[in-house]
Amino acid sequence: MAPKFCVDIKQEWDIVKARQLGRDRAREIGFGTVDQARLATAISELARNIYLYADSGKICFEITDETDRKGICVISLDTGPGIQNISRVMEDGYSTSGGLGAGLPGVKRLVDQFDIQSEEEKGTEIRVIKWLR
Amino acid sequence: MRIPILKLHDYLLISIQTEIDDNTAIQFQEDLLGKIHQTGSTGVVIDLTSVEIIDSFIAKVLGDVVTMSDLMGAKVVLTGIQPAVAVTLIDLGVHLKDVPTALNLEQGLIKLHQELGD
Amino acid sequence: MDSKFGKILLDNSDVIIQKWIDEIEMLNGFNYSDSVSDELLESTNREFVNIIFSSIKDEGDTKRLKEFSEKLINLGWKVSYITDGLQVFRRVSIDFILQQSDQIDTSYISDLLQSVDEWIEPLIRQLVNEFSGNWENILSLQRVALQELSAPLIPVMDNITVMPLVGTIDTERAKLIMENLLEGVMNHNSEVVLIDITGVPVVDTMVAHHIIQAAEAVRLVGSTCILVGIRPEIAQTIVNLGIDLSKFPTKSSLRKGFIKALELTDRKIISTEEKDTSIEQMIESLGRE
Repeated sequence: MAPKFCVDIKQEWDIVKARQLGRDRAREIGFGTVDQARLATAISELARNIYLYADSGKICFEITDETDRKGICVISLDTGPGIQNISRVMEDGYSTSGGLGAGLPGVKRLVDQFDIQSEEEKGTEIRVIKWLR
Repeated sequence: MRIPILKLHDYLLISIQTEIDDNTAIQFQEDLLGKIHQTGSTGVVIDLTSVEIIDSFIAKVLGDVVTMSDLMGAKVVLTGIQPAVAVTLIDLGVHLKDVPTALNLEQGLIKLHQELGD
Repeated sequence: MDSKFGKILLDNSDVIIQKWIDEIEMLNGFNYSDSVSDELLESTNREFVNIIFSSIKDEGDTKRLKEFSEKLINLGWKVSYITDGLQVFRRVSIDFILQQSDQIDTSYISDLLQSVDEWIEPLIRQLVNEFSGNWENILSLQRVALQELSAPLIPVMDNITVMPLVGTIDTERAKLIMENLLEGVMNHNSEVVLIDITGVPVVDTMVAHHIIQAAEAVRLVGSTCILVGIRPEIAQTIVNLGIDLSKFPTKSSLRKGFIKALELTDRKIISTEEKDTSIEQMIESLGRE
């Protein structure tokens, strides 16, 4: 597995930085423009969640290289309050921030694989993978 | 960073050329509404040809600005949304219903012209 | 393996082969007599039974087995030829051995059944594996072929484009269709896109969902989508499933959709005048006579 690198999310501009980095990675590996946009948008959503709900966190990238397929794994890590009811936040239209409520279920639709782990008062880890088509 | 707003007769033209962060978006919302109030414009075209990413937050700001402008009597048309952006918005579940769209700036102006009746 | 049964079989291989061939020819007579010549059938049967025997003699030569199955696949024979053949062999050999034996008790029979199974099972497994491997291969080739003919976009005139959809739409294909559609709209600067679903056999909730999403994406980039080619049964399923297609225009045929598209782009079809006047003149002249 290729070495991973991370972007710390502390201020708003970091959201833009993270998604631009993600898009660059995706382009380097050979993703098409639509999938680049999908991945970048997913990163934007994840980074915004960190910015809105957690004090600090980071977005990490890994190139996943398996024998028959290649992809990008994006990991969102934070030390925030955690999510009490995961199945609830995965419902379309659920929002605590007054946003569109498209956040996590939207991210899930943008990527190929989606894993979420959360512990109250500890933090949340979300792993998403987008495979190269 | 502020997004420039140009006035052309009764219309306002905006071309968003940069990566938008949250602050810029909110600033833009305020600027545009202020400008509509100040000029009494009846139509607005926001051109998004150069925008590569619209996430749910930016989409919400854009959708809101359309509704708000409508309340103030100005019709807004979004133009030049890129295919990749359209696909991601649909995947996200953001449909921007009731928001008028056009292929490019020119057709956006034609659409405004038709809807507002000369 | 209990070799005493194997020995009986091998010692009497000629008899057994003959019995097997008689039975199998009766079976195959129904299945293959039309398409396959007698000589080919006979030689294949011989090869098959020889392979069975060589595998009993523990000369289980996988290469030979592989060649045999490849030959069958190339000939386009069904997998049932193999399973039938081995079933018949099982029956024939058990019958034969039981006839040859003097004292028969339960343990003898169970021994017999077990050792026959031990000869037959590996053969079935390997041959069927060869066949299914071949099927999977064909399947993946066809998937690629399907993707290639997936979603053509035809610019019929200025600002109007048609996308005919043919075949079943799954999620993977729907994504491809949407991307092609949007790129095409941008490239051809189309104000109206007609999606023709005449060639889509079944429209269920899933397919309708994909089509609606594509139409909405088309609207976002600033174009209009008209769904055409809605057959009566599709209209019925759409309503029965409670799918809401009211948000974008639909037409029963491509022709009607095209007229609508012209309307949307401020155009209409006008017959050329010369023809009209010439017909009028003809009618007039007829009247005079």
